[in-house]
Amino acid sequence: MNSAVFHLSGPLHLCGKSHFIADEPPLQGQLYAKFLFSPVAHAQISNLDISAAEKIPGVIKIITADSIPGENQIGTVVKDEPLFPETEIMYVGQPIAMVLAENEYLAELAVKKIVLKYKELPAIFDPEEAYKEKQGYIQERIIARGDVETALKNAPFTLSGKTETSGQEHFYLESQRCLAVPMENSRIILHTATQSTMEVQEIASRILGIPVNDVIIEVPRLGGAFGGKERGATIWACMAALGAFLTQKPVLVKLTRDEDMHLTGKRHPFTSLWKVGFDEHGKILAYDILLLANGGAYTDLSIAILERAMFHSENAYYIPNIKIKGFACKTNLPPNTAFRGFGAPQGIFVIENILAKIAEQLKIDPLEIRLQNAYQNGDKTPYGQEISDCRLTDLFNILAEKTNYLALKQAVEVFNKNNTRFKRGIGIIPVKFGISFTTTLLNQGSALVWVYIDGSVSVSTGGVEMGQELSTKVAIVVAKVLGIPVHQIRVESSNSQRIGNASPTAASTGSDINGNAARIAAEKIKMALTECAVKLLKQKHQLNVSPEDIVFKEGKVFYKENPDACVNFEELVRFAHSERVPLAAYGYYKTPALWFDRDKGSGNPFHYFVWGVALAEVEMDTLLGEHKIIKLTVMHENGQTLNEEIDRGQIEGAIMQGIGWCTMEDLKWNEKGVYLSANPSTYKIPGIRNLPEELEIEMIPSATEEASVFGSKGIGEPPLIYGLSVFFALQAAAKEAKKDAELSFPATPESVLQCLDGLYPIG
Amino acid sequence: MKEQNLQTEIHLNQITFFLNGKQITEDVPAGISTLDWLHAKKQMFGTKCSCNEGDCGACTVVIAYPFEGIITYRAINSCLYPAAKLHGKHLITIEGLGTPENLHPIQQTLLKYHSLQCGYCTPGFVMSLFALLAMNSHPDQETILAALEGNLCRCGTYNSILKAAQELSAKFSPSEIVPEWCRNTEQDLYSFNETDTMFFTKTDIPQQVNCYLFPKTMKHLFDFYAEHPDANFIAGGTDIMVQKNIDRKVFPVLIDITNLPELNRLYLRQDGLHIGSAVTYQQLYESGIVKTDYPVLHKLLAQIASQQIRNLGTLGGNIANASPVGDTLPLLLVLDASLWLQSDLEIRQIPLNDFFVSYRKTALNKGEIIKEIIIPPVKSNSYIKFTKTSKSKSVDISSVITAVKIEYNEDIIINAALALGGVSALPMLSQKFTELLTGKKLSTINIDSVISEVEKEFEPLTDIRGTALYRKKLIQNHILLYFQELQKEEK
Repeated sequence: MNSAVFHLSGPLHLCGKSHFIADEPPLQGQLYAKFLFSPVAHAQISNLDISAAEKIPGVIKIITADSIPGENQIGTVVKDEPLFPETEIMYVGQPIAMVLAENEYLAELAVKKIVLKYKELPAIFDPEEAYKEKQGYIQERIIARGDVETALKNAPFTLSGKTETSGQEHFYLESQRCLAVPMENSRIILHTATQSTMEVQEIASRILGIPVNDVIIEVPRLGGAFGGKERGATIWACMAALGAFLTQKPVLVKLTRDEDMHLTGKRHPFTSLWKVGFDEHGKILAYDILLLANGGAYTDLSIAILERAMFHSENAYYIPNIKIKGFACKTNLPPNTAFRGFGAPQGIFVIENILAKIAEQLKIDPLEIRLQNAYQNGDKTPYGQEISDCRLTDLFNILAEKTNYLALKQAVEVFNKNNTRFKRGIGIIPVKFGISFTTTLLNQGSALVWVYIDGSVSVSTGGVEMGQELSTKVAIVVAKVLGIPVHQIRVESSNSQRIGNASPTAASTGSDINGNAARIAAEKIKMALTECAVKLLKQKHQLNVSPEDIVFKEGKVFYKENPDACVNFEELVRFAHSERVPLAAYGYYKTPALWFDRDKGSGNPFHYFVWGVALAEVEMDTLLGEHKIIKLTVMHENGQTLNEEIDRGQIEGAIMQGIGWCTMEDLKWNEKGVYLSANPSTYKIPGIRNLPEELEIEMIPSATEEASVFGSKGIGEPPLIYGLSVFFALQAAAKEAKKDAELSFPATPESVLQCLDGLYPIG
Repeated sequence: MKEQNLQTEIHLNQITFFLNGKQITEDVPAGISTLDWLHAKKQMFGTKCSCNEGDCGACTVVIAYPFEGIITYRAINSCLYPAAKLHGKHLITIEGLGTPENLHPIQQTLLKYHSLQCGYCTPGFVMSLFALLAMNSHPDQETILAALEGNLCRCGTYNSILKAAQELSAKFSPSEIVPEWCRNTEQDLYSFNETDTMFFTKTDIPQQVNCYLFPKTMKHLFDFYAEHPDANFIAGGTDIMVQKNIDRKVFPVLIDITNLPELNRLYLRQDGLHIGSAVTYQQLYESGIVKTDYPVLHKLLAQIASQQIRNLGTLGGNIANASPVGDTLPLLLVLDASLWLQSDLEIRQIPLNDFFVSYRKTALNKGEIIKEIIIPPVKSNSYIKFTKTSKSKSVDISSVITAVKIEYNEDIIINAALALGGVSALPMLSQKFTELLTGKKLSTINIDSVISEVEKEFEPLTDIRGTALYRKKLIQNHILLYFQELQKEEK
């Protein structure tokens, strides 16, 4: 459907004419904010002296915890995060004071004049250490089924180990920013680059001590987010709000790239300790895993992220006896946060790593062992949700056929026999990704649709456009309902005055929730217009038709048996207006049949699952540790797509982020908790040369009742998992060079040489 | 400063150039980057700022200027390009190319392939493609990748961008890519009325850079330096501008050497290839002499940074910067390169190996500049190779970079050199390697002992680009790789 529709903002983006926050001329009297960031990870503030900084001409105000008129608290799930710390510094880069000045240069100068005295406290960065000391935000969580201990005891084979995945910097090209502008009546408008309009609105009002309706949120679009602006934008929006509120001048907060990389939260590094029991066919009988999420200094979204990791820790496999424990560890890193996949990739990585080990031990083919364990319809997940629409076995078989798997395997074997320096490997990974916020209350959304007098349409939803083309998809939905061309529709910015209480645009639910809300609103209008069409067709064409036989199509409205005797959409709208029929509607949608009992660890947290499989073939240079991706093939089960090209773009992009995470993005901090790879010259994200030489993505349509708007499925996060096939291919290649090679994460050239050499640990 | 004496021969602050087809004369504050100038002074925000240090390409713009008889179109990072350098050139930004109603073929094709998501990197990609297609008829895959490796897209749309680029490359020739309004400026660019005086820009309020000077003659240069002993020399600016943008370093006076004809020469003499210190990597890469006589240098140049940086950065800058991981340094060392250093009093020649004194310290005296780099002719029957290991396949700084040269007389090695970067405070030649190989036959060499002896010479450090042990391992493996290749060649 509608693959001919292109990115609605495309022509603007391509001409540099699309509006991004703060990429615009400064407002009259606008002030610039710069921050004093904490140089230490954990400390007691003994003195903060701003007097010298205040004296610099052009410095308008210096803001600290004392300046906050409302509550110094930006936490949501757990209220544990101050905007500015009052006594205790919790991470390197935590903002301690904000300077507002007439220009950035003066603001920077003033920051240097602020004197911070503190007493350093012991800091923790390692999740295992935090776990031992019970440093968390909430208690350990558990999801369990069966009798893991007995099953492990009776299993023919067992393995145990520890698996680690590293963090990941979002590297959205548009850094964190907010422009706050004071309005009459002590109100304030925040032009904020956030995925969560409701959260920013509520928390800014809390900081300022004013009602929520006095804070107005406006989000035109984001220059990339990937989860980094779901929660990460809130602190900077509150800073700008506070500055503008206290000075009554426009205030711009805009992080530089290096600031953004140094002190914003990232994907959670995970450490997992596990035991697995299996039989001689490689069938997993029991799995006991403890997932430790390195959450950073404050709760942020760590609890939900840990929960999603737990929900995905069996990936696509049925495991009869399973115990999944999870603990979100409080450490002195910047609070880690949402990142595409939201914990699921970390959970999935562990079980896939284990399957690779089992396959190696039993000498079973990696595809075969996955087929052995794959979910079948009727199986239940560890949390009790029934698998009812799963074609995983088919997908594996299609993948094997498309890639000519047996021949490929043979070719790789031959290659490896004939080469010593270069080794090839194959990696296979499936994904089962649950769609819905696991926090059930977030699964609701609103839309407001206006049909104007000339038949043009304005659609507002709570969704935020960040490149995923939510706007395009919403327009496609409304166009389909009203039977008008997409280009007759404008999808508006996200604005709290049009759509309040909006859930974050996250969890791959953007088009499900907002698309459905827009569909419902458009259907209401269509219903009203249909009544008018009955009248108008009678007036104009002397037709007597009943409403259910009216068709809206290509800008025309007609009786289904007689398309020629039609009225056009604009004509109908004008008629409806003259008939005093409402031409606007509010649509509300909540995802049906969701529930989850956190104490029992069971329920139906997901509306549906997204399924797919991927295969990667790589060639590793065992001398230099480098690799190339010869091919990556994906079979993605995709419902009835709203726009195939948009979905393809999401899959390709997610794959590149997955590849980046597991092969090159080397997030490191030192013993003081300072991020070392915190600029683009030391933290490398994939570029065009990191593309697989051959990238084949097949989208397999499916008719599933569970899918969402017009049978489509969420697309943002699940494909990130496909990128991990590259890691497992590299691991296989490494084992060709050295049997007991254990590749560590991410598979940088250093990590490769280290595992082949086996002599020294990576620092 | 003796401004009085100079008033007669300098233009204060004002520079003249073309912006998207229109000639303009503008005041530019000293040292301001083209990106900041576009935003602050022109309020043109189509060019995006994402990293401000030349790593992401979001701020890519194209400059056009006469070079070797044609108007060349080059993609550059506008964050690294001092606006003062625009004098006499044509600056083409995204605002010039197409409009949403009337897209340029590049923009149409990118749209057709859905080659954009959030849109923040998009203008940069458009501009990189513009420069690529303006300069190349039907570029091949490698040329396309080279042109786009300096543009990051975190949404990961590379696959569709590449498809769009392939279609553009197949379908369009430069005459269809470069619009009329660009061609219309070309005559004016050729005949741009260059006075033989120099200009400078100056700012009243103290800023990071207070004075930016453009000498037109060597005499100017040294006179100015005499007046401003605190001055720094700037060529491509790919390092100084990063220090200015990111480290907020103050450079009171910058003397830009890129307009000096003496430093822009590239010529072959009996003693070898002479490369003026203001010659860019890209000029070298495109040079026929380099391609035929120094193929290994040609190959190395392709692996330096990104297209945008190669269009600005200079070999002279890489040497003067004296970074232990400078990309070109090991190869230049094994090639026995030497330098002509010039001060107002003299020109002296110094072997490159003697130029590096200690960490980032060179043999340059105060007021002295690198005039030329001389690379002796490469002997036939020699094996010359380099190996760069870094985290990323492109636009990355090495963990370890090495280069090797072996020269034979019959089957006797008469000359052997191995140079390494990233394993000590400065790029260095291995003495052991030369010792252990010279006078030997390849077949009699004990490779293991060469590796272990060479490795002992160096004590690499642990930093973000690799641990000491990893770097040691790379030393071993690079040498092993060279020997494996040598043995293969011998067979």
